[in-house]
Amino acid sequence: MKNEELDLIIENGLKVGPDFHLPVDFALKTSGKVGRSIQWKNDLLEYLSLTGLILALFIASVGMYYYIDKSLALRLLSIISQNPLFFILAFLLLNFILFADKVLLPLLFNKWNRVKIGDSKEYF
Amino acid sequence: MDDNELIEQILNGNSNAFTFLVNRYQKLVLHISGRLIQRQEELEDVCQEVFLKVYQNLGKYRKECKLSTWIATIAYNTGINHLRKFKKLDISDSDTQEIFLKTVDPDTIGYEQTDLHRYIRELIMLLPVQYRTVITLYHLEEFSYQEIEQITGMPEGTVKNYLFRAKALLKEKLKFVVDANSLKVVKEITNEK
Repeated sequence: MKNEELDLIIENGLKVGPDFHLPVDFALKTSGKVGRSIQWKNDLLEYLSLTGLILALFIASVGMYYYIDKSLALRLLSIISQNPLFFILAFLLLNFILFADKVLLPLLFNKWNRVKIGDSKEYF
Repeated sequence: MDDNELIEQILNGNSNAFTFLVNRYQKLVLHISGRLIQRQEELEDVCQEVFLKVYQNLGKYRKECKLSTWIATIAYNTGINHLRKFKKLDISDSDTQEIFLKTVDPDTIGYEQTDLHRYIRELIMLLPVQYRTVITLYHLEEFSYQEIEQITGMPEGTVKNYLFRAKALLKEKLKFVVDANSLKVVKEITNEK
């Protein structure tokens, strides 16, 4: 057999792609995943900003009351320091509700929707 | 729609444009990732990771190279990182020729004379990762040497060398299995196409 003929076989063989496949709806699934990833990041950012804002408002209002009505602010702080566990738990609970509303539920809802629609197993 | 318009649309938040981009370049990403990873079950996740990176970095794309080259670079780096992560990467080039020639036995692959292309595909999968990559980029995706240099970071000389050596290895193997009859069959197949 001639060398050139073997070269021709190899040249043609190299132009054949690997035998791997992606699902038919790969593009849709991928853009959905990208969208969800961006949405998740935005949701998390929104939650963190809101938590920060609430804490900042609380600190600012306590600080303001400290100048306007020092005794009231001190009384409030003493109530908190006397029942730290209660206030910590209340804060965590409220914070979790906010977290669930902004991050967790949209994430679970998205997942639930995907499971309901079902992943296509068709391949092209 | 050309690539520049497509990028503009995606950056403006058009999700359909991104789906269009994925459709346009999924074969390129599949070929590169497929040849690197060689595992169907991991491929979809890796390809999705590639497109996620494409989306996240699209704003940084400066149009200094073709979009396909840029996406291929991301696909190559993601594939290499994936191999590194799961410790499947063997970068060393020592004794490649002997290892390849020793490990590949045509009889064990289920070779049929009428399917030489499939046989060559099987052989390519047994080549070292660098050889597989340059073969895919040059022959299958038809990138130039300069573009392959951009994608892989290998100097042009190395790319040419790998291509030459990969072909020499394949030739060495094929010499023993291709006889006059099968050559006739290949010619018929080629003419039919």
